[in-house]
Amino acid sequence: MSTLTIDAIRKSYGAIETLKGINIDLASGEFLVLLGASGCGKSTLLNIIAGLAEPTSGDIRIDGRSIVGMHPKDRDIAMVFQSYALYPNLTVHRNIGFGLEMRKVGAAERDRAVHETARLLQIETLLERKPAQLSGGQRQRVAIGRALVRNPKIFLFDEPLSNLDAKLRMEMRTELKRLHQLTKTTVVYVTHDQIEAMTLATRIAVMRNGRIEQLGTPEEIYNRPATLYVATFVGAPPMNLLAATAQAGRVTVDGTGIALALPGLEAVPAGRRLVLGVRPEAVGQAGEGIGFSARCEVAELTGPERIVTASVGGQRIVAALPAAARVEAGDDVTLHVDPASFHVFDAETEARLN
Amino acid sequence: MSSTWMTTRAWLLMLPLLAIMIAVIGWPMADTVRLSFTDAKLVGLGGRFVGFDNYVKMLTSGNFQRALYATTWFAVVSVTAEMVIGVLAALLLNQRFYGRAVLRALLILPWALPTVVNATLWRLIYNPEYGALNAALTQIGLLDSYRSWLGEPGTAMTALILADCWKNFPLVALIALAALQAVPRDITSAALVDGAGPFARFRFVVLPYLAGPLMVALVLRTIEAFKVFDIIWVMTRGGPANSTRTLSILVYQEAFSFQRAGSGASLALVVTLIVTVLAVGYGLLVRRAAGSAA
Ligand SMILES: Nc1ncnc2c1ncn2[C@@H]1O[C@H](COP(=O)(O)OP(=O)(O)O)[C@@H](O)[C@H]1O
Ligand SMILES: [Mg+2]
Repeated sequence: MSTLTIDAIRKSYGAIETLKGINIDLASGEFLVLLGASGCGKSTLLNIIAGLAEPTSGDIRIDGRSIVGMHPKDRDIAMVFQSYALYPNLTVHRNIGFGLEMRKVGAAERDRAVHETARLLQIETLLERKPAQLSGGQRQRVAIGRALVRNPKIFLFDEPLSNLDAKLRMEMRTELKRLHQLTKTTVVYVTHDQIEAMTLATRIAVMRNGRIEQLGTPEEIYNRPATLYVATFVGAPPMNLLAATAQAGRVTVDGTGIALALPGLEAVPAGRRLVLGVRPEAVGQAGEGIGFSARCEVAELTGPERIVTASVGGQRIVAALPAAARVEAGDDVTLHVDPASFHVFDAETEARLN
Repeated sequence: MSSTWMTTRAWLLMLPLLAIMIAVIGWPMADTVRLSFTDAKLVGLGGRFVGFDNYVKMLTSGNFQRALYATTWFAVVSVTAEMVIGVLAALLLNQRFYGRAVLRALLILPWALPTVVNATLWRLIYNPEYGALNAALTQIGLLDSYRSWLGEPGTAMTALILADCWKNFPLVALIALAALQAVPRDITSAALVDGAGPFARFRFVVLPYLAGPLMVALVLRTIEAFKVFDIIWVMTRGGPANSTRTLSILVYQEAFSFQRAGSGASLALVVTLIVTVLAVGYGLLVRRAAGSAA
């Protein structure tokens, strides 16, 4: 049970600044997900917390005490890697107990802790095997066990599920959530998978080019994305973006002649280029709201939903309709959107306006 | 296509190679076996069949036993030293430091030099009148007067071993360096976070990736060291007082200096047998090492 403060962290490799000032304050027991595309600096930040890399400037504090410059082993953190990183010639038992063994914990106590952890992860029957004799999912459980057994102040995960197949990834996701609810340890978890971020996090930090684009709860990130980047990164299928223009306190959607009066946009000067975002799941076939006349180009049944790609005044819009919706390619349809579910962004600054 | 045809075709394709192998290895080998049961001289005809005489004489002769001892000593000491120095050099060159790339490139140099050049260089270094070793040792005060390192039975073998190490440790170092670079960074990081010190990291993280390749280096180097000829021939010709006369030198002297083809052949076959046993034994070891590291 520990707090974690990431204070103005910067990191440069030569002339290139990989982290450009990161600030995050984590309460005890939080599950923070660092979400972002490959190369945005997630692993670098995690390695700095772990002590595997030193920041160029800034401070990291656990329970208010600075840990910058401290050896990784003295930070009381545990880390799980994408590649599992198990010791190849040690048994599962010794792999899990390795951290305790290195910390000179007695054999009997170690054995008890290893068995308890193995029971929690349901890998008791694998304890005498070598990593090479395990499947990917089993290896990842061992890697998690190795972190769990130490009962650290903070858990760090670097894309732990990326090497697993889709079904296993979902199982392990649930498993991780269960373990977090059980242990209530503070977690920092790196992923580029927005579903993992949405399901696991108590808070998400969306990163881009070494900066935090938005820090918030999954609901905030999903319902009120602060920038265009966050809006398109989270959600599948991704948010629809319609080109629009501000006109006398109203927003006209380019190519349609539809003008909307949206709250919060009164101050936007006329003629300003805007981007109107709307999530596919907020687009319906019936109901209140604004109606768009559209022509269906493609209709794809995913099982629970029918994903309809349509054209509205020359712009493309994707709607997630119920599977029962009778829409075929070539059909003319009217798509309805509740005005409250529009997200308005400045086309130039990409910042949210409403 | 039937599998018998596949097999037949495979054999057909290999036939030219097999023919060449038989011509250049098989036939001389067979002739050596035949010679080893005769008292043939190097020049002149034939020689009489003498049964196992050559073998009995040779195996019971002091020369053979001394040469076997000298060879084993040379092989064990030089290979052990090469392995240790090679691994240490690799660990060093795997660190991040300024000028590492240049050092890595330089590392290959001793090994790339022809043995004759290397041996000649070391003869210069050991030279009793103007050698660098004498000069260096006198200047730092470890030595009172110049010595003939290759001319004294007490130091010649050690001097040879040193020269051989200098030539061959780079091979071990290169193999070890390649293996070190294959150690996954995540495992090293995990060990750091787990609190493993340098020795534990070497033992549990590095060694599993080093063991297989090092075993291969060990096999290569031991077999080569057991067959050693050129470096010794250039530096000491087996002297002084036969103190550096290894098995290959003995074979050469028997067959060519003393022109006794028959007993030279029997000696050569015994050396071949020893090296084969070493190779097979090591082969098994390598397979075990590879199995445990995977
Ligand atoms: N040791 C390093 N030396 C130089 N550049 C690095 C180093 N580690 C990471 N980088 C660079 O920093 C950037 C961010 O890397 P990383 O944190 O691994 O991204 P992510 O984990 O988000 O995919 C990348 O452009 C990468 O090339
Ligand atoms: Mg990464």
